[in-house]
Amino acid sequence: MVDMRADDTPELQAWRQEVRDFLAEALPEPWTFWYDYDEDPESWERYLTFWRKVAEKRWVSLTWPKEYYGLGRSAIEKWILDEEFVAHDVPTYPVIGRQVSELLMRHGTHEQRLKHLKGIADVSVLWGEGYSEPGAGSDLAGLTTKAHRDGNEWVINGQKTLGTAAHVCQWMSVLARTDPDGPRHAGLSCFLVPLDTPGVEMLPLNNMADGRQNMTYFDDVRIPAENLVGDENQAWTQVWFGMGGDKLDNALPGTDPHTLRIIPLFARVLRYCQQTNRGGQRLADDPLIRQQLGELMVGVETLKVQAFENYSRAQTRKPGKFGAASSHLSAAFHKEFWPHLAQVCMEIVGPMAQLKGGRWAQLNGELEHYFRASFGNHAGGTSQLKRMVLATRGLGLPR
Amino acid sequence: MGIDLTLTEEQELIGRTANEFFEKNCPSSLVREYEATASDYPSELWTKMAELGWLGMPFPEACGGLGLGTLDMYPLLVEMGRHLVPCPYLDTVALAGELICSIGSESQKKTLLPGIAAGEIIVAPAIMEADGSYGPKGIQLQAQHTGSGFELTGAKTLVACAGAAQWLLCAARTDPNPADGISLFLVDPTTSGISMERTPNIAGYPLYAITFDSVSVPADAVVGETGSAWPSLYQAMMKAAVLQSAMVIGAGERVLEMTTNYAQEREQFGQAIGKYQAVQYLCTDIAIHYHQTSLLTLQAAWRIDAGESFLREAALAKASASRAAAAMTFAAHEVHAGVAFISDYDLQLYTRRAKHWEYNLGDLRYHLDRACAESGI
Repeated sequence: MVDMRADDTPELQAWRQEVRDFLAEALPEPWTFWYDYDEDPESWERYLTFWRKVAEKRWVSLTWPKEYYGLGRSAIEKWILDEEFVAHDVPTYPVIGRQVSELLMRHGTHEQRLKHLKGIADVSVLWGEGYSEPGAGSDLAGLTTKAHRDGNEWVINGQKTLGTAAHVCQWMSVLARTDPDGPRHAGLSCFLVPLDTPGVEMLPLNNMADGRQNMTYFDDVRIPAENLVGDENQAWTQVWFGMGGDKLDNALPGTDPHTLRIIPLFARVLRYCQQTNRGGQRLADDPLIRQQLGELMVGVETLKVQAFENYSRAQTRKPGKFGAASSHLSAAFHKEFWPHLAQVCMEIVGPMAQLKGGRWAQLNGELEHYFRASFGNHAGGTSQLKRMVLATRGLGLPR
Repeated sequence: MGIDLTLTEEQELIGRTANEFFEKNCPSSLVREYEATASDYPSELWTKMAELGWLGMPFPEACGGLGLGTLDMYPLLVEMGRHLVPCPYLDTVALAGELICSIGSESQKKTLLPGIAAGEIIVAPAIMEADGSYGPKGIQLQAQHTGSGFELTGAKTLVACAGAAQWLLCAARTDPNPADGISLFLVDPTTSGISMERTPNIAGYPLYAITFDSVSVPADAVVGETGSAWPSLYQAMMKAAVLQSAMVIGAGERVLEMTTNYAQEREQFGQAIGKYQAVQYLCTDIAIHYHQTSLLTLQAAWRIDAGESFLREAALAKASASRAAAAMTFAAHEVHAGVAFISDYDLQLYTRRAKHWEYNLGDLRYHLDRACAESGI
């Protein structure tokens, strides 16, 4: 039965209020921080201090089972928490490696969960992702990092790129080829790698939006055999689907609450248009700008309802109209809409939007940065890839 | 409870039933026939729809209806769009029926709603005028008080199925104040002073221009309060716009199906054209517009039924539907190329109706502006 209100009981409304009260108390002012676009050490320290407060409430692990340091709360409570975090410009997870906990929960052993989930839950251990390689981006199955078994250890050799925030992380989940002779999708495995292991070296890839990503080199990196997560040679199904395939419907990169960081930004642009005069009239009264704002509003609303849909699909276990490719459709939409939104907002605000900050900048220079950040829309695969998957898997067109 | 975007079993059943019914009773040959005949709509089909209870879906049970909501009508309208059903459902049931339900007198409800539900009465809303604007300022047809009632003078355009209607539901100005001066009148189209002409149009629909020359109507022809009909009319048009969006979704689903089938079958340069990424892109364009419109429309329909404010969400849904109507058919023609330019091929039936639906009950520009206005901007 169609329902699009998360908090339709007094208990859930009280929960939303509890999250709001917490944020009002715990969030430092002023708050502008996204981990993928900030390298200021003080900002990071404030950010992690905030997250440790979240962890004290055990809200990082809100929905996890109690035996794994969670509170066993419902998915809808997590959804409401995410909505409130995003509405306050806070990411819904400390750093990029949010999938590791889901991966462990689905494919990890009991021992692996006991060992690793606590550090994730209390934000004492941060996890990065080692998936993309210089020669394997959207075509992830073409990766060449190798791992071979040597006694009680795995030995990893290769190179991973675009590791968002990996330099602040202590661990990384790494996809590597364990069967060099098998079909390209069939020979991959996933490993949990402590980044202080000898042979790991990291170089910065500073991105155009003030964040640091990383090139990570693995040179005869030896890790214990028990750090294989999931089944040997099965990582394509177990991890790739976790990145937006049909098994884990509400995971990245389909639309999820994290995507909705667009909402508060767009609300600021709307407010700006109501409060700012140009040529003797409010921007919001300019018929052309109203059309542009309306058009963006359709897109922002679409992202919101797509997130509802992804949540609904994951909960009801009913496939979407386009089956396995449904989350690729929303991902394609988001990936194309994001830079479009940034572009049109800059058109609306006009030439002063290019200033980074200070007295003459508009909206504290937020759009100048947002526009640059919007070129990071490729993370998790390009919109072209998403459309190709939609066309072949969702619409039945030939490959 | 919580977030759920799936229809109920009952709602899905309405959709399946309607699909099977129209598959059988409304083939594209019938759609084509009703572009060419002088008759406004296929009355046999309309009667069968009445027998299924569809023409009284939103009306209270006391008035011959089923008392159902927008989400119950949604799957029916999707199927009407898919099969291009040539009938005045949006006009008579969704718009006129909604207005009579919400602001009509008890006697108007008793006289009209059971007749509409039974398929015996067509009420044609006559709202738009020659300047083509959707808001209250566009309503300039004058209604002068006379001793016993009103006298109407002016002209209405794009009135669907007026030739078959027993009643026109005419929006007229009883006061010069833009928003406050609008009244609704039930007018017998055979009244002296009314002349109508059928206006050939892109969709092949029975759309009429109607001239009112000192047309006398009695005082009890007024629906709702004199001079204050606009808010109700606006709400009813926004609700009907959500159902129009549902029709675009159904048509879009069919257009997507036709296009992907064609891309799989048609070979050029030794392979199916659907293998070319340029063609795949066009197909995904259709899917993305279709999907976006269906989500936004579902949201608006849910808000109406949940008793939440819905005007902003309805505007977003119809804005998306208007854009999708144009974009989906464009992409479909790009993929089909020459074959769909030939009238024997059914795609053009969708393309031409999509243009009417794009405009009907508010076009893209209007609804983008309304989306801003309803967001307080």
